[in-house]
Amino acid sequence: MGNNFYRKTAGDTIFNVVNIVVFTLFTILCIFPFYYLFINTISDNALVGANAITLLPKGIHFGNYVALKDVQDFGNAVMVTVSRTILATALMVLCSAFAGYLTTKREMWNRSFWYRALVITMYFNAGTIPWYLNMLGLGLTDNYLGYIIPAIVAPYNIILVKTYIESIPASLEESATIDGATTMQVFIKIILPLSKPILATIAVFGAVGNWNSLQDSLILMSNSPGLYTMQHRLWVYLNSSSNLAAAMSGGGAVTTGMLNNKVIKYTISMVTVIPIMLVYPFMQRYFEEGMMLGAVKG
Amino acid sequence: MPTATLAQANAKTRANPVYIVHRIAILLACAAIFYPGFNPGRITTAINRNVSLFTACISYNSLVSELQRPLARGWVQSSTFVLVMIASIILVLGIVLAAIGGCMSVGNTRMQRKGLIFPLAGSIVMAGGLGGIFMAHAQIVTAANDRVPANFASGFWLYAVLAAVILLTTLLQLASGKGVELEEKMEMKEKYKIFLMFLPILALAFVFSYLPLWGWRYAFFDYKAGGELTAENFVGFRWFTYLFQSDATRADILRVIKNTLCLSGIGIITSWLPMAFAIFLTQVRSKRFRRLVQTFTTVPNFLGWVIIYAVALAIFSTDGFVNTFLNNILHITADANYLMDSSHMWLKMWLWGTWKGLGWSAIIYISSITGIDPTLYEAATVDGAGRFQQMWHVTVPQLSSTFFVMLLMSIANVLSNGMEQYLVFSNAMNRQSIEVLDLYVYNLGIVNGQIPLSTMVGMCKSIISVALLFIANTASKKMRGESII
Repeated sequence: MGNNFYRKTAGDTIFNVVNIVVFTLFTILCIFPFYYLFINTISDNALVGANAITLLPKGIHFGNYVALKDVQDFGNAVMVTVSRTILATALMVLCSAFAGYLTTKREMWNRSFWYRALVITMYFNAGTIPWYLNMLGLGLTDNYLGYIIPAIVAPYNIILVKTYIESIPASLEESATIDGATTMQVFIKIILPLSKPILATIAVFGAVGNWNSLQDSLILMSNSPGLYTMQHRLWVYLNSSSNLAAAMSGGGAVTTGMLNNKVIKYTISMVTVIPIMLVYPFMQRYFEEGMMLGAVKG
Repeated sequence: MPTATLAQANAKTRANPVYIVHRIAILLACAAIFYPGFNPGRITTAINRNVSLFTACISYNSLVSELQRPLARGWVQSSTFVLVMIASIILVLGIVLAAIGGCMSVGNTRMQRKGLIFPLAGSIVMAGGLGGIFMAHAQIVTAANDRVPANFASGFWLYAVLAAVILLTTLLQLASGKGVELEEKMEMKEKYKIFLMFLPILALAFVFSYLPLWGWRYAFFDYKAGGELTAENFVGFRWFTYLFQSDATRADILRVIKNTLCLSGIGIITSWLPMAFAIFLTQVRSKRFRRLVQTFTTVPNFLGWVIIYAVALAIFSTDGFVNTFLNNILHITADANYLMDSSHMWLKMWLWGTWKGLGWSAIIYISSITGIDPTLYEAATVDGAGRFQQMWHVTVPQLSSTFFVMLLMSIANVLSNGMEQYLVFSNAMNRQSIEVLDLYVYNLGIVNGQIPLSTMVGMCKSIISVALLFIANTASKKMRGESII
């Protein structure tokens, strides 16, 4: 960083102060809305209903999160989202690892042709409607598999894995092959353990993508409310003016004041945010590495 | 090629015309599984036209989606359709068996010979599956209900012919290959082995990325949901001209294109912001502070647009933070719903996008700055450059290459703003000014069911986008000697 090579003046000090203030403000701007949502979900529901919560929580309780178990549709959406996130991500990572490894093998029959055929799919798409009609024709609309099967092959991730594997010294693989290991054995015993960092990166990106998905649920599962993802369900709730509290069978379970629409909406929003917030600090390294890899892909 | 001699030895069997016919038949059978038009199990026209053999295997609900009433009334028996599903699964199993044999046929002679058992078994299993479908068809014929008319699908003959060809070629191979000397071990050349392992991945990519292109044909027909594409309703480019001839659609499309270009344009004009963010952030000395800012400002990028909308509601709606703050802290009475205000929508959408993505987009520049050679700054200091001169004359030029790539990519993506942001923020008040192309296609096709028109719009968008990408790439090659894709 270049900031050691200039003479310090009064102007520099002013600049430093302004710089730090602006960044502090922007950081607060990024994080405050989530704090605001959160304090509303843990404050006394009657006070929230009266718009009395501004900067600090009042009458702290966690009953709203417990009460969510009574929102039937949402519990279902959580199941769908969690299971699809795990399943689709795991399959995508496995497939990307395997495909990435195979595409590094120069002996593959017509390798460059097939590899290009795969990569080129990143740069065009037929459009929403043909995609939907295709999924309809395959029977993947209103079908849980519609979340899983199309997510398995991710060309971009395959490129990332391929580039990474190419950076592993070829001698490791060669010596294993000389010892009589088959392609599969080399893949499982050598390539998989060595490419853990890149697999973690694509897993994190894949999981976030699955967790946040709205569009596929919206377009493919329109006739199956049982298959809505959390984001889709939340969107429906945010747009509904009907009384969610009344829709909950055991709404009375919450002791601190009455539940109201506002509280339920905020709490559901927090439930979709919290997992990402919790995981993010630990995964930040992988996110950033993934971003950089994307920039230098070969 | 090092394997030249081996290839010669094997060339005789691989180029064997019987094997070529054999493999083509198997490939056709595999491909036809996914094509609804060739579904042999469409034993009645009441079965949805969009159900392929593959669908019939994985989803009973899709199979009987339009048969709820006949089934409930007892006009037809559900057992008939269960039979269709089972028969379809058997048929696909047979094809899979044949495909295994097809894969083994690229191995050495021993593998080829041993592998012949698979297409032999496969074609017989296929015949069994077809028999099941035939029985189900007979049941429908006996039920003789006008509302569930029997239909003998042409796909049945396709599969019957393919099964026969596979069986015949297998028998021919079995007969002709008698007495051929076999190798010690089953072996396949590495290049085919690896290709065959890669084949399932290619097949998935084909089904989900290339097959949708076939859907472009809807743009040339007068198609209604559930209808059929026939020579009668072929309309050529009528939908294309309709876009511009009908006053209502022309006004719509012009408005949508204006929204799209302006929203993208604002993004392109301000695409230097992440770079500025990175340059100024790296001027802060405290590493801890930099880390903290980076962590918190990148978080919104990983939250979906629905969450962002929830945040928007919590802050700007009638009972949101802004009004609460004005009322409770500043004691100003306020109850405006700022989200219903439809003024400056482009600017607001840009602000939301920037709030969500700025910190994240800056990361790439921050990393680049860390990689800049410190001697450049030393040299600049020696030349008497101050802090800002260093930023402008050393840091910015060093980042320009990254910036240029980003800029070209955003120009190539000028038509693709994505739809989620505009979908979640759109309401009756602001729809006019935030409906972008992607959202327009969604509203037109999925919400209003105008399949051909929306396919036409999407098709034009895709073609223009690919052209733009190509142009951007060429520009990059010309100017930087490096391609961006």
